[in-house]
Amino acid sequence: MAVSTVLPVAPATTQPAAPARERRGNRRISPTATILLLLGALYCLFPVLWVVIASTKSAGELFSTFTLAPSTHLFGNIADLNAYRGGLYWRWMANTALYAGIGGLASTLVSAMAGFALAKYEFPGKRLVFNLILAGVLVPSIILAIPQYLLLAKVGMTNTYWSVLLPSMITPYGIYLCRIFAAATVPTEVLEAARIDGAGDWRAFGTVALPMMRSGLVTVFLFQFVAIWNNFMLPYIMLGDDRLYPLTVGLNGLLNQGANQPSMYISVVTGALLSIVPLVALFLGLQRYWRVDLGAGAVKA
Amino acid sequence: MKKTFLPLAGVLAAALMMTTAACSSSDDKDSGGSTQPGEKVELTYWTWAPNMDKVVEGWNTAHPDIHVTVNKQDGGDPAVTKLLTAIKAGSGAPDVMQAEYQKIPTLVSANALADIAKQVSPAKAKFPDSAWNAVTLGSEAVYGLPQDTGPMMFFYRSDVFDKLGLKAPATWDDYAAAARKVHQANAKQYLGTFSSNDPGWFAGLSQQAGASWWGVNGDTWSVAINDANTQKVASYWGGLVQEGVIDNKPMYTPEWNAALNDGTQVGWLGAVWGPGVLEGNAAGTKGKWKVALLPQWDTAKQANGNWGGSATSVTTQSKHKEQAAQFIQWLNTDPAAIKALATQANVYPASVDATATALTSPPAFFSNQSDYYSIAAEAGKITSPFTYGPNVNVAYNSYNDAFGKAAQSKKSADFTAALSTMQQATLDDMKNTGFKVAG
Amino acid sequence: MARTPQSRAGRRAGAPYSFLAPALILFALFLAAPIAYSIYLSLRRVKVSGLGLGAGSRTEIWAGLQNYTRSLTDPEFLPSVTRVIAYGMIVVPTMLGLALLMALLLDAGRTRVGTFARTSIFLPYAVPAVVASLLWGFLYLPRISPFTDLLNGLGMAPPDLLSDSWVLYAVANIAVWGGTGFNMIVLYTALRAIPTDLFEAARLDGATDTQIAWRIKIPIILPSLIMTFVFSLIATLQVFAEPMTLRPLSNTISTTWTPLMKVYRDAFTRNDIYSAAATSVVIAVATFVVSFGFLKLVGNRAFNQED
Repeated sequence: MAVSTVLPVAPATTQPAAPARERRGNRRISPTATILLLLGALYCLFPVLWVVIASTKSAGELFSTFTLAPSTHLFGNIADLNAYRGGLYWRWMANTALYAGIGGLASTLVSAMAGFALAKYEFPGKRLVFNLILAGVLVPSIILAIPQYLLLAKVGMTNTYWSVLLPSMITPYGIYLCRIFAAATVPTEVLEAARIDGAGDWRAFGTVALPMMRSGLVTVFLFQFVAIWNNFMLPYIMLGDDRLYPLTVGLNGLLNQGANQPSMYISVVTGALLSIVPLVALFLGLQRYWRVDLGAGAVKA
Repeated sequence: MKKTFLPLAGVLAAALMMTTAACSSSDDKDSGGSTQPGEKVELTYWTWAPNMDKVVEGWNTAHPDIHVTVNKQDGGDPAVTKLLTAIKAGSGAPDVMQAEYQKIPTLVSANALADIAKQVSPAKAKFPDSAWNAVTLGSEAVYGLPQDTGPMMFFYRSDVFDKLGLKAPATWDDYAAAARKVHQANAKQYLGTFSSNDPGWFAGLSQQAGASWWGVNGDTWSVAINDANTQKVASYWGGLVQEGVIDNKPMYTPEWNAALNDGTQVGWLGAVWGPGVLEGNAAGTKGKWKVALLPQWDTAKQANGNWGGSATSVTTQSKHKEQAAQFIQWLNTDPAAIKALATQANVYPASVDATATALTSPPAFFSNQSDYYSIAAEAGKITSPFTYGPNVNVAYNSYNDAFGKAAQSKKSADFTAALSTMQQATLDDMKNTGFKVAG
Repeated sequence: MARTPQSRAGRRAGAPYSFLAPALILFALFLAAPIAYSIYLSLRRVKVSGLGLGAGSRTEIWAGLQNYTRSLTDPEFLPSVTRVIAYGMIVVPTMLGLALLMALLLDAGRTRVGTFARTSIFLPYAVPAVVASLLWGFLYLPRISPFTDLLNGLGMAPPDLLSDSWVLYAVANIAVWGGTGFNMIVLYTALRAIPTDLFEAARLDGATDTQIAWRIKIPIILPSLIMTFVFSLIATLQVFAEPMTLRPLSNTISTTWTPLMKVYRDAFTRNDIYSAAATSVVIAVATFVVSFGFLKLVGNRAFNQED
């Protein structure tokens, strides 16, 4: 049965997998380029360098010694941070990993399914759904946080892990990305072939489409992972028990101990340093999976 | 495009129905309030005093059937906001809440605090009148038990003062003279700073001058933020900032900490809980500070102000109010508990027994001043009355913005103008919400 | 796009809906319902009776458009809007300009520090806004900033970066620092996807890298640039965490410095969620209008795969 298909018009930006440029032979090293890039790197690294140095100081030294002079109290500071409320900091880190990991996975799956449907099917209401999704991208999340809280409170679900996980599972931006990935990486004729072979829609999705979208899915997962990891407003509003806090809310709390307590700046600085480490490791480890080229048409600040 | 509309309308309608259903259902998911004897009761306690979990251990070991879990909150406003949101939403509030005195009218107004007069009225004798008044709001109801108070005191660097031949100022004129002397001797040094970020501090100073920003007459409120007393305080500080002898930066910033450390701030108008702050922020200056009563406006009529201090209250959402009230009573009257509060939670207990039982030696940071707590007790005794209204947070927020501008401009006229802004904002807010307000 | 034969249409008509179901349900519960509830709240307010203390003294009543009027006529609202627009005009061109510059430099491939620079510049993306603002706060406060010693050594007085004249740039800097890396990576990957033959010819003719960048590369990645621009704009209009964290450190940032800070203040400090809801709706509508308007203006060039 002949099926007339029209290949999606793929712009030059959607060549998947293979690097799009061959090795660049011997091009002259440009000192200007090097200097500019190093300046950029220095600008971006400087505060991180500051955090590393500040974490090595004791509380007394933080405000009394030259900023860039390192000291030797890093492990003492980590021990103090560990002593706060019986090691609560590590629990914050575990919470953050949980929110970001499970939230990221779930939202990737939801987005993949929705993006796939939007890219590969024609159905009534498709345009409206897509516009709704796009409209969802444009809504500031802080505006949603308070009414989300009030609604969840009516069913008694605030101050639980679910109160942070559930709202994180819907990401209009992720759906938008997945739509692009699905359209770009899953050729319709492959899908058609699978259907001709007797596969149902779900089987086709699971065995054919998902593997082909894999690199795009990793990208969406990483975006969501970082977004949830760094999210402050939602968990801040939803959670009252500091044992459920992620790192952002926990560290912010250390700064707000109340007027009659000293601020715990050293613990916050040390905690900030330790909190950056997992994400940096993640980036470095997964560098080659960052297939942002497929999403080149859709970016976010 | 009728066909496109229908499925989507279905989804949206479902959303709306779910919303209305959730809104109208009563959320009584837990069982009713009474517990069977022998059944373990779980209480949650929201507080930001440090080490409260250690203090509470004492209760938990002695009362295995009533277990209290501490949920540490951010200090001050955020915790109250969370409580109010939870009350409004119908679930999520703790059983026991640390409630700052200035927040109690707001909390009572939002029906967040339960009246525990039946359970704790006899405890009245254990607390000073001003503290008891703060938890009863002058009525028969009791909305909590006073936990700690914060009589203001003046901390100063005795080594700097000795070098300049200064004594602890007895009056505010003396303070101004000392400020000038300190700054003239070293242009980098200041006797203090005007903090636009600490409304409680300014309220305490105004309290000392005889102001009471709110008042009640029958069922009508009155707002008097820019009364003559507060204006006196505002123009006093405006003058000093304009002169340049008092700094204009907020407290509790990294900069302020650095200033305490390196001696550019040589005085601090703090409160009895000050040693903990000084020790945490400026440990290197230990032994160089001394404490005194606040300078006075009128040496014949000694007065003082309060900065901070809270009560422990039972929330209206608690399903175990009896047990919660028992816990509160233990926390604030039991000698062992009071001692733990003083030594571990770093608060100055409100109980009148405190000084005798728990505060027998001065705090570590002031080991050089053995009469620390007797000065504190004196300060507490002469504290003037002050009524907080139901929208303290509006007034405090207005303080932040209005005095932020004034402090930045360093003009004394702006300081008094800021008071008018505060007055107007507070008055307007109360009128808008429907309170009966005079004037 | 696939056109399915009509005979299959019936059997598979349900398929897209079942794929969409989780997303639509979550969307309805966590986007649509809150927005609807927000609009509902914005039309209500609280009225007290008597002294206002004790149970039953507060009731929620219909307020009509009162919250909107009060919100829009608040003397702090308009300054916050103009401030945010000024902030956007500083942040977006700077951030995208830097991102584009770095991306082009990386793509030109004439340096050995490419990987190091790329990783370093991307690093701030891993730092949450609250932490970044605190770190920069330490670097801004004159007494404890390392720049102070440096400038004093050069004989210059350090500027008070949190004073009225500088504070807008101080906050903008944090956003630029945090966002450049991400946008750089996006633009860089767009550049990497350009087939080399498109500019090899120009290179053989003697065009410099700069000329190639201007005349060839930038026009090709224009859709990416436009989308980065729109999303940066949206994010910028919602600036909240950075000024919030810096506020206690100085006198120059009020609690209503940006529109979203005003929403937070109304909701959480003044416990007036009704006003907050009204302001949120205004902001959401304004963001909508701006972004949709802009996208319509530049046409569908950004949506290459739009049907």
